[in-house]
Amino acid sequence: MEVFKIDKITKQFSEQFVLKDFSFNIQSGDKVIVSGRSGIGKTTLFRLLLGFEKPDNGSIYFENSKLTDVSVWGLRKRVAYVSQDLNIGTGKVQSLFDETLLLKANLKYRLGATSEIKRLFDYFELQDGLLQKDIETLSGGEKQRIAIINALLLKRDIFFLDEVSSALDKPLRIKVLNSFLLNPDFTVLSISHDNYLPLGIEINNLKLE
Amino acid sequence: MTGATDLSVFSMVMCAVLLLVPLVAVWHFKLGITKNLVTSTLRMAIQLVLIGFFLEYLFRFNNWFLNLVWFLVMINAATFSVIKNSGLKIKQFALPVLLSFIIANFFVVLYFNYFIVHLKFILDAKYMIAIGGMILGNSLRSNVIGLGDFYKSLRKDEQLYFYKLGLGATKYEALLHFAKKSFVSALNPTIATMATMGIVSLPGMMTGQILGGSVPLVAIKYQIAIMIAILASTVLSITLSILFTVKYSFHKSGVLDKTIFASES
Repeated sequence: MEVFKIDKITKQFSEQFVLKDFSFNIQSGDKVIVSGRSGIGKTTLFRLLLGFEKPDNGSIYFENSKLTDVSVWGLRKRVAYVSQDLNIGTGKVQSLFDETLLLKANLKYRLGATSEIKRLFDYFELQDGLLQKDIETLSGGEKQRIAIINALLLKRDIFFLDEVSSALDKPLRIKVLNSFLLNPDFTVLSISHDNYLPLGIEINNLKLE
Repeated sequence: MTGATDLSVFSMVMCAVLLLVPLVAVWHFKLGITKNLVTSTLRMAIQLVLIGFFLEYLFRFNNWFLNLVWFLVMINAATFSVIKNSGLKIKQFALPVLLSFIIANFFVVLYFNYFIVHLKFILDAKYMIAIGGMILGNSLRSNVIGLGDFYKSLRKDEQLYFYKLGLGATKYEALLHFAKKSFVSALNPTIATMATMGIVSLPGMMTGQILGGSVPLVAIKYQIAIMIAILASTVLSITLSILFTVKYSFHKSGVLDKTIFASES
């Protein structure tokens, strides 16, 4: 099934074109790696798909219906977004997870979340004690993994990953990317400068220039 | 009541002499605010003289309608001051903030006059204007911090707001984090003032009452009541201001409308 259809969109900030007549389709289960030099519009593309920016021209379709100011709210409940920015909130790590799971759209995933958090902590090599630490005291790599776990708890199948492994060392980076790219059910859009790609799966490269 | 000793013309002249201290300092160190200082002092003097005459008559007539209108004028002035000092645009914010101030301040002042002071005439000028003015003035300061901080931090940390929306949050759920933070920064000054009250400073209301002939124990009871009233009106007005203004400050897609800021044309 077609998840996203980007139809000839143009976006420009002041005089600068970020995207011009840009079209692209994303099917369910696709793994799309978005690359290109800084400032080319990778994050802008994500923002357009999530409705945080509006295209100057052209349309975006989500599951065959046109994305509007109203329908974008439904889309945001279907996806999980991990931003490049490491400002993911304040307070204890545990309360960040609680906050996410207490959102109306996510209440149904609370059951079993505790054991899921424990499993993901083990997998991503985080100490359990971290749950009681303040987010602001964590290192960049720890924050990135916390943000990834926060997204995985929501049992979504469409992921927007904006440079989610930049602060991690190689073995962890591979683990993080594998956990998204190797799952056949996940539709993944990932902005990444990483040249690691797992073998045996098909990757769509989307190079912006 | 004996009332405070009146100040003679000579006293006011001596007061003007005392003004030479800041004036000479500002001029000598070339701080560049001499003109500001002079105009502010003059404005204060003229405004207070006019208000003095005005209040004299307001208290003499003590007419419920006039009292009500004057209190509304005060609330109106406070509203504009809050919006201007928070760096927001008057056009979009005047109505919702005014409404929130009217509800919060009327509720607290009338509660104060009826349940705490047991006034028979709850629109009495002395209480409504004087107590109301204190409550209004103090919640004004907190609202400048609270409302301004709310929208500024939302603009600065927009990415965090987007992050929450991207996890399925509704607009209000995503704004909660920001509202909580501005709440705390708005209330902190009042909480700190209360903790040092009586030791570091004798609050204005107490000073006034003592000079006016009240015994300190009566003045203290009023002071406690007024501080709690200020706290109540602050919390009410900030909550309502945020609640009423977020309705008009966002695009349908949930993105903050940047034209609400006075700095954006």
